[in-house]
Amino acid sequence: MAKPEKQYSGLRNFLRTPTPTLIGLYIVMIIVFTIADKNFLTVQNFRGIFNNLAVFGILASGITVVMIAGGFDLSIGSISGLVGIVSAVLMMDQYGVPTPLIFIIAIAIGCAVGLINGLIITKIGINPIITTLGTLAIIRGVCYFWADKNPRIYNVFIQNLGRKFIANAIPYTTVYIIVFFVIIALILKFTRFGRNLYTIGGNETLARLAGIQVDRIKIITYVISGFFCSLAGLLLISQLGSGRPEYGTGAELEVLTIVVLGGVAVGGGKGNLLGVFVALVIIGSISNGMVMLDVPIFLRQVVKGALLVLVISIDALRNRRNLQLY
Amino acid sequence: MPEIKASSMEPGKKAKISNTGILFIVLVVLFALFSYVGRPFFFSVLNLIPMLNNLSFIGIIAAVLTMVMVTGEIDFSIGGNIGLTACLAAFLLSKGLPGWLVVVIALFGGAVMGAFNGFLATVVGVNSMIATIGTMFIWRGIGYTLSNGESMLAINPVIDFIGRGFIFKVIPFPIVIFIIIFALTYVVMNLSKWGRSIYAIGTNPMASYLSGINVKKVKFINFLLCGITASLGGLILTSLSAVGMPQHGQGLELVIISGIVLGGTALGGGKGQILGTLAGTLILSLLYNFLTIMNVYYYYIQIVQGAVLVLVVATYEIRQSRALKRV
Repeated sequence: MAKPEKQYSGLRNFLRTPTPTLIGLYIVMIIVFTIADKNFLTVQNFRGIFNNLAVFGILASGITVVMIAGGFDLSIGSISGLVGIVSAVLMMDQYGVPTPLIFIIAIAIGCAVGLINGLIITKIGINPIITTLGTLAIIRGVCYFWADKNPRIYNVFIQNLGRKFIANAIPYTTVYIIVFFVIIALILKFTRFGRNLYTIGGNETLARLAGIQVDRIKIITYVISGFFCSLAGLLLISQLGSGRPEYGTGAELEVLTIVVLGGVAVGGGKGNLLGVFVALVIIGSISNGMVMLDVPIFLRQVVKGALLVLVISIDALRNRRNLQLY
Repeated sequence: MPEIKASSMEPGKKAKISNTGILFIVLVVLFALFSYVGRPFFFSVLNLIPMLNNLSFIGIIAAVLTMVMVTGEIDFSIGGNIGLTACLAAFLLSKGLPGWLVVVIALFGGAVMGAFNGFLATVVGVNSMIATIGTMFIWRGIGYTLSNGESMLAINPVIDFIGRGFIFKVIPFPIVIFIIIFALTYVVMNLSKWGRSIYAIGTNPMASYLSGINVKKVKFINFLLCGITASLGGLILTSLSAVGMPQHGQGLELVIISGIVLGGTALGGGKGQILGTLAGTLILSLLYNFLTIMNVYYYYIQIVQGAVLVLVVATYEIRQSRALKRV
């Protein structure tokens, strides 16, 4: 068993998390990229970086909640793809669904899929990775029901959602991310629900014995993840200007990297949103830097996979509870 | 022959017909049903031989992956491994290397990939489910980089023979590989000390460690073998399609893992038989082949594949929890 950790307060507690290291890493990265390409450190570029963070940031906030409670969700990319294509099809002229209704339908789809994931994982008791790997394939297949349609987005409200800037510098999407991150951080820190998440992630049996309704809370986390997937799906079609069945493919890889890099433990029980935010900006800047340095597109996938493996290896080494004999 | 099956070790269970037996009966029934519904295409040489060829590379990977899964680990990167191997082989052939050398290098590449997975899972101690999802993307990304996203022609006498050759002019060579690997894994899992230690590790790693089994070594070598077999499967697929392309083997991990679990292998390890895996993969390849014959759109087959994975694992979990309640 783990040693009982000493309780530190405030600043010292913060310094013990991986977040300060991440901030240091990011400063070094900015210096390196700026030396490599003088256009990196410009308002124009950072506007782009932050606007591109939108989808991953929203997905990351959902999966952070799931992972702190010891769960896992690989189907996020597929759910946002499904929500994107369905909303885009509903916006086509021949259906003409009003915008508020589209939001309601989108969120209902995301929450429903999250609920199904949660029910399968908790009530039947299947490993979350296997479950969401299965639902990933199922949902992506469902997206192709609309493969013959190629809806463009003419809805001005949806268009503005992910494309506008405040004072021509700060993207709307950054505001959303910060608002969601703050709300979730407050929930995690100050509500009973949030504290229960950490308890469940730390030791599920103990949480059960302590009278926490583990199954219900876990299902809620998957619904939350589904909710954020639907928002991400709307942002996807807003930024890309059309609906395609393959949108969001592979997003789980990047989001997973972000979340684990941000210090959320793979087994659950640890993690804070400040770290995830810094990790989000770091991964976004790496993607941007690779474009600036003209790294071939296929090599970028290798780099991203390697980053994930590196990040989870560090996580495994850091969270090693006892001597690994086997 | 002292044949102890994992299921016969459970106390108080007197099944007349083993689960594997039931699976084989289901297999025969499905085969008859599909032959009738899918007539005249399903039960014809033109369909059955390619189906067996396809089954061969799925089957050999499933057999060795069963060994990995019985120790309680898993390898999702097999599909990526196939993609990379196919591209590597085609790339090396385009550089004018002789066929046998390409085969050796490709298998060596598979060994490196397997060893890397094994290193992550044993030495670093990462959860192999997540680690191999990461490596899956790496392998496929390298495959894309090698081939620049295109499919490359892979025609060479040696490569051609691996997937399309015949022994004694009648038996397709992939089927021979398939039978050899299944026989080997069956002997290893049921009759050797190595196989016994694999079951022991899956059931209780701590006890195995205390009784002197080198747990990390066994797991590592299983990953290594899995990598080599996956690249052998990649070579068969390259030969069957005569091209190496990075998309080869995409989504195959769904089919293979659901086949293994259908065959009775527990995700947590400790349980599973090679014959069960054989029956499971046969049933699933029959099913997917049937859907293709019935002209079902590929993406809908993907829905079925995902649903089958969840359903099979769910059935297993429900039976498991019922069995626990009965004790």
